[in-house]
Amino acid sequence: MLSRCLSGLLLAGFGCSLALANPPPEVWNAPYPEKTAALAAKADATRGASAFEICQGCHRAGALGRPDGSYPRLAGQHATVLIKQLTDVRSGRRSNVKMLPFADHQALSLQDIADIAAYLQALPVPPSQGQGPGGDLARGRQLYDRDCQACHGQMGEGKADRFFPRVSGQHYQYLLRESRMLRDGQRRNVHPEMTAAIAKYTDDELAAVSDHMSRLPLGGR
Amino acid sequence: MPNLVAFPLKPRPRRWLPAVVSAILLCPTLLMAADAKEIARTVCAACHGMDGNSPDPKHPKLAGMDQEYLMRQLKAFADGKRRDETMSGIIATLDPATFAGLAAYYGPQKPTPGKVKDPQLAAKGRALYEDGNTDTGVPACAGCHQSDGKGNARFPRLAGQHQAYTLKQLADYKSGRRATDPLMTTVGKRLSAEEGNALAEYIAGL
Repeated sequence: MLSRCLSGLLLAGFGCSLALANPPPEVWNAPYPEKTAALAAKADATRGASAFEICQGCHRAGALGRPDGSYPRLAGQHATVLIKQLTDVRSGRRSNVKMLPFADHQALSLQDIADIAAYLQALPVPPSQGQGPGGDLARGRQLYDRDCQACHGQMGEGKADRFFPRVSGQHYQYLLRESRMLRDGQRRNVHPEMTAAIAKYTDDELAAVSDHMSRLPLGGR
Repeated sequence: MPNLVAFPLKPRPRRWLPAVVSAILLCPTLLMAADAKEIARTVCAACHGMDGNSPDPKHPKLAGMDQEYLMRQLKAFADGKRRDETMSGIIATLDPATFAGLAAYYGPQKPTPGKVKDPQLAAKGRALYEDGNTDTGVPACAGCHQSDGKGNARFPRLAGQHQAYTLKQLADYKSGRRATDPLMTTVGKRLSAEEGNALAEYIAGL
């Protein structure tokens, strides 16, 4: 029985990795009804605090995430970004196997999503995020200023109306992991310019720029 | 009571009427509460104990659980979303109108502490309860059930629960036998047997 289960799991895992090997890219931020409705919903941060309870087992109290990068910090992120990412995950536009059951239709209503986003956006962002090793900060700054700051902002504050995430205050390990996935085409719901900007980055360059982002001053909204 | 004595001779305004009418109107509620208490003591007590602290670790302690949560579970048993060899048979004999009274009976009861038999196992459980397992995507239990395990209207109290009962629920979520909460189905599937044992041990001591 156990071995049958295990081989089933292995097969499922194999099928999954095959399916993910060449994921079709999405048209950047194309509207779809669920996202549009969540963005338009009248949100209530107090209700969001309660709805967020099912998220904090992973994203932690105060939505501060974990310095090991396993779960990102969500506190202070733009509501637009959070709504896009949540609806992208549950509609399969962003693959996230761990998160899916906690974001799907059985777990969250559209109103919950809007409320949670409003709650998270207003949370304080303390300077306790995991930072990088500090090995090549000059290179990191140079790359950031050249390739990243036009969209993500000089202070890493992002652009709410354009759905560009805030990157300041984020854990280094998370920035590093996601930037690798972006470069390698594993995040389908991404702006094509994002992928193009770091397509030729080496692992060391991704580490340097992630390190720089993890040290950006907080407060920029 | 001069009014009553005088009544046959000289009718007076019936000042007692509102009292009687409201007594009659209130009666079903009172009767139901009385019924529920009676049911709890004669039917439920056999497994759940007189005060909702079940003596048998196979059966859950209900004392101190949130009333809304208890109501939802009673309804889930009645609807067949939750099944149990004993409970499914018994729920069929109960009038759903008594569920609120039953929940109100157990909610305010004082829960007794559980017994930790293996402190080392409980320590492993504590780590998982507070931090989850980031490799397998098991969330920290504390995220929903609170650090003290007292829960709330959405998420049940776990503190002091019998190990055997906690383990049975995790197994039932995993198998789909209990389908009251899709998130717990996911958690049940992601937990290893060893992790389940550790959690049940820690929860008993909360």
